[in-house]
Amino acid sequence: MLTQREIISTLEMLRNENLDVRTVTLGINLLDCAGSDLGMVRRRIAERLMRLAGQLVPVCDRVGQKYGIPVVNKRIAISPIAAVAAGLAPSELVELARTLDAAAREVNVDFIGGFSALVEKGMARGDRALIAAIPEALAATERVCASVNVASTRAGINMDAVLLMGATIKRAAELTADRDGAACTKLCVFANIPEDIPFMAGAYHGIGEADAVINVGVSGPGVVKKAIDRALGSQPDLDLGGLSELIKQTAYKVTRIGELIGREVAEHLGIPFGVVDLSLAPTPHVGDSVGEIFQSLGLLAIGVPGTTAALALLNDAVKKGGAFASSRVGGLSGAFIPVSEDLNISDSARQGHLCLEKLEAITSVCSVGLDMVAIPGDTSADTLSAIIADEMAIGVINCKTTAARLIPVPGKAPGDHAVFGGLMGESVILPVNNARGNNLFIRRGGLIPAPIHSLKN
Amino acid sequence: MNKAILSVLGRDRPGIVAAVARVLFDQNCNIENVSQTMLQTEFAGIFVVSLPNHMNADELQRELDSRLAPIGLTVLTKPCAPGDEPCLPAACEPFVITTRGPDRKGLVAHISGVIARHGVNITNLQAMFKGGSAPEDNIMIYEVDVPKAVDLQTLARDLRDKAVDLQLDISIQHRHIFEVLHRI
Repeated sequence: MLTQREIISTLEMLRNENLDVRTVTLGINLLDCAGSDLGMVRRRIAERLMRLAGQLVPVCDRVGQKYGIPVVNKRIAISPIAAVAAGLAPSELVELARTLDAAAREVNVDFIGGFSALVEKGMARGDRALIAAIPEALAATERVCASVNVASTRAGINMDAVLLMGATIKRAAELTADRDGAACTKLCVFANIPEDIPFMAGAYHGIGEADAVINVGVSGPGVVKKAIDRALGSQPDLDLGGLSELIKQTAYKVTRIGELIGREVAEHLGIPFGVVDLSLAPTPHVGDSVGEIFQSLGLLAIGVPGTTAALALLNDAVKKGGAFASSRVGGLSGAFIPVSEDLNISDSARQGHLCLEKLEAITSVCSVGLDMVAIPGDTSADTLSAIIADEMAIGVINCKTTAARLIPVPGKAPGDHAVFGGLMGESVILPVNNARGNNLFIRRGGLIPAPIHSLKN
Repeated sequence: MNKAILSVLGRDRPGIVAAVARVLFDQNCNIENVSQTMLQTEFAGIFVVSLPNHMNADELQRELDSRLAPIGLTVLTKPCAPGDEPCLPAACEPFVITTRGPDRKGLVAHISGVIARHGVNITNLQAMFKGGSAPEDNIMIYEVDVPKAVDLQTLARDLRDKAVDLQLDISIQHRHIFEVLHRI
């Protein structure tokens, strides 16, 4: 027999605290769809996506309804297209992106990730073609997401790729100038990209993965915030050790739900279950914000002194609680701080509490990096590359994932406002110091070698 | 062996279970199952007991009455028919139906009526009505076994339609979600 308290508290989490499963992502291996004939590759990929993903959305909806837990997003992650379509030219890759977009629309998933290349040690022909195709592919499609891994702790930082990505982001923004550079919201540059991220824009189906896999991204910043508020309401002198325990317990609950839903969806689809990604993922809604957690913990706003320590506490507690709740943890697993996607973080930036440099600092203890950061449209390609290089260095040296999803919003200056719509949210344009002109350090190119602690064998 | 089921009602206080159990022990009865609950100020207990060969349910009822009536307890004893099996459909899925909303007469009758119409068995019901319109003051929690042959979508739709009529907020969820969230 269930207790009344167990039932009521579950309903509270669902109704008032935005508890949901943020994404169920179906990873699909496309490596055997490779070829140098565009028509054939398009046909093979479209058939594969329809066959494996056709039932994803109805099954997620059915399972969600059974448990009364909404699965907010259903997505597809595919093998890196730079490998699958290495024989195609950039213009052909743009056509292939249209095929992916059409397939995503057909099976009703909101994003398909994997228009990707892994170039941390060097760029092959297919990688160069894919990177060249990214701006137009993202501008011409609605649901395709791209990612490029330019660095890893084992390989170092490929500065040629970093330089190329600065120009690529700039071009993607220009092609979507009428939408505040929205193409850049679907483009992530990574260090140490995991092979099983269920969240966009970084999701792709790793080379080491099986034919297909179901990965789940949980949510729950609203649940964590409310748990902290309730605890401090009844016990105002609770110290940070106590709050860490509380966050752990809450993360446990949130993760258990993700695991339950993911396993059942996987079983219905006849596809193996992969991992739960323990990230706290916000949306641009009040009560579903990572930024609000900082205020509940006692900070004026995210970005003020104390923020890095608070995020370190939060991220660690989420991992500890989640790891116990799940049989297999993967992906990014930590707290996200996407500026435009989180109403509170976006507000904090607008009020001047959060600057680019502080964001960079706190990425050393969060799970991603400079995420959904709107910067002035006149930021030079060199400066974009330099910001990316700094972010990659944090990931490489600290053996963690970092990423940059920067949007140089065309025609907008610091203090202006950019609107990306839907889940991508909106944000003030953050100023970037010395954003114009060339950067000779970045232009030297080559590889920044892997750090000494990569020599583990 | 004869079995009997007895219900015991009375104002709650220390010693009720002990008093009932003492009579049963003195009469050489064996308690097989007990469930007790308290609602507001009242005690309610249900006992399934096996009787010694020479005794029937009526004799036990007389004995219980004579010793428990003086301390304010009302007992009803009924023989269990031999071979009675639990009335359970072959394959079921456990669900939890929860409602919250303004109090009015007939809430339990209406919601349980829909549940019964679909051939769904209620395995546990907790309801609390403090009156008034505050949703959290008026809650019904039905644990039910839904036979696999029952169309869950139709059951859910009928329940939601009824909840709309009654201005209730209703949830229908597989029981597993509550166990997964709160129990290791």
